[in-house]
Amino acid sequence: MVGSFAGTRRVSASAYFSGVAMATLLGIAAAMFLRPAFGHTVLQLVGLETVPQAAPGSFYTVRVAPLFEAHCISCHGGERQKAELRLDSFAAVMRGGKHGAVITPNIAKDSSLFTRITLPATDDRAMPPSGKTPLSKDDVTVIRLWIAAGASGTLPVKAIKGAPALVVPVKMPELDLAAVQRQRAPLANEVSRLQGRFPGVIHYDSRSSADLEIDASLKGAAFGDSDLKALLPLRDRIVSANLSGTGVTDASAPLLASMKSLRVLRLMNTKTTDATVAALASSKRLKVLAVAKATPAALAPLRQRGVRVYEDVDVR
Amino acid sequence: MSDSPVIHEIPHVRVWDAPTRLFHWAIVILIFVSWLSADRGLMTIHLCSGLTLLALLLFRIGWGIVGSATARFSDFLHPPRKVAAYLKGLASGDKQLYAGHNPAGGLMVVAMIAILLAQAVTGLFANDGLHFTGPLALLVSDDASTWVTKLHGTIFNVILLFVWCHVVAVGFYMFVKGDNLVKAMFTGKKPHTHVPADIQVSFARSYVAFLLLLLVLTVGGVAWFIIQGGALL
Repeated sequence: MVGSFAGTRRVSASAYFSGVAMATLLGIAAAMFLRPAFGHTVLQLVGLETVPQAAPGSFYTVRVAPLFEAHCISCHGGERQKAELRLDSFAAVMRGGKHGAVITPNIAKDSSLFTRITLPATDDRAMPPSGKTPLSKDDVTVIRLWIAAGASGTLPVKAIKGAPALVVPVKMPELDLAAVQRQRAPLANEVSRLQGRFPGVIHYDSRSSADLEIDASLKGAAFGDSDLKALLPLRDRIVSANLSGTGVTDASAPLLASMKSLRVLRLMNTKTTDATVAALASSKRLKVLAVAKATPAALAPLRQRGVRVYEDVDVR
Repeated sequence: MSDSPVIHEIPHVRVWDAPTRLFHWAIVILIFVSWLSADRGLMTIHLCSGLTLLALLLFRIGWGIVGSATARFSDFLHPPRKVAAYLKGLASGDKQLYAGHNPAGGLMVVAMIAILLAQAVTGLFANDGLHFTGPLALLVSDDASTWVTKLHGTIFNVILLFVWCHVVAVGFYMFVKGDNLVKAMFTGKKPHTHVPADIQVSFARSYVAFLLLLLVLTVGGVAWFIIQGGALL
């Protein structure tokens, strides 16, 4: 004490600032106690507590974290931390928010995160809140099983039994139209010309492909060997040819055999014979063949190679 | 007759006007209410306290120009060199007397007004991601509003730091220097030994404060009406 003045007792500056330092430390300690999440952050910052990590391939990483990412982190992530809660890392999930831990390992019903996601949508405290995509029953089951198994960050996926099957969203590759155009370019004029000559017969295999399908079945006997020969410029790109019911004969066998990309060939109700089947023995990519008349001996080499063969059935 | 001690009343000098004192304690209450309401998710109360805080800050800025002598920025805003010299003198025990804010205190006042103003303004554009959006949040993009919301939270931590500095400094004057600034901010008076001997504080008329507050509220009301009208269009 230095003295008194105007009714206020005075202390030395060093004593005062010592008191301030102590009061500040007590204040921080109180904040750490009242806000456990803040407490964990401080302890982890000063190295008195290890930061829990989730292992790659763990149930948490594979099954639980994606659910938090899809449904929770818009409000409990890097951008926003509602209730001072972050769910964008295993450490943050286990740290909890301003009201303390949100996960009680082994006891789902005591975990506020679980109780909040299982409240009826009409409840103001339900999570995700109204307007956000709700968790499905399977999602809730996954989180319940994870907590019941100890809310581990390292337990492998297979260690937790009874979890609903993982639904992997199908991601379609983006269509690169420019690349498709480049692939089609060498034959584009020829394809266009022949499409004009044989309406409805020549199609591209798909929007993303330069391969071609031929379907002359509706042309009937009017589509013969000479017509097929007209398609010669396209032969390397033809992957499927439906010539059933057409006037094609064994005379077209060499052309059909020269279609090196051909995978499916239908020759039902045509005049083709074993000669055509024999010629197709050299078609390395052929997977499916439907033929009108062929002997088992002629078909045997194709069958041995794994080609699925369908034969005309005489229904008379 | 008994030998009771004779109490010598130390004459006091009036240094703070009522608007300055009311502003100070209103700000203390509003910071606490804003903190508590945000913490508890009582966003309507938070909005009201934030808007009141903004109005009072605007009033205080005006009062810093047309108010009483000790409330004016010109009285307590000093160049950094003078602030440094004051702090140096404080450390060496020099007796430096000011009727109003000392140079360090003046700097604290300006810093506090600036940070609180930043907090109130960012609050106007913030949203809580659920059911509440600030009155001006719809005027900016969602991303901008989210960014401002984050800033709003960060500024709050700076305010806590400023409040800590302020309380520690006030405690220093009270317990080390024997200068009870808290009491002075309540009563408006300081012991004559704590103010320069020849000081003559001039006070602004009360109706000036009233008119200034009316002006702030009118401008605020018109702005609110325009914003709400715009949002309905």
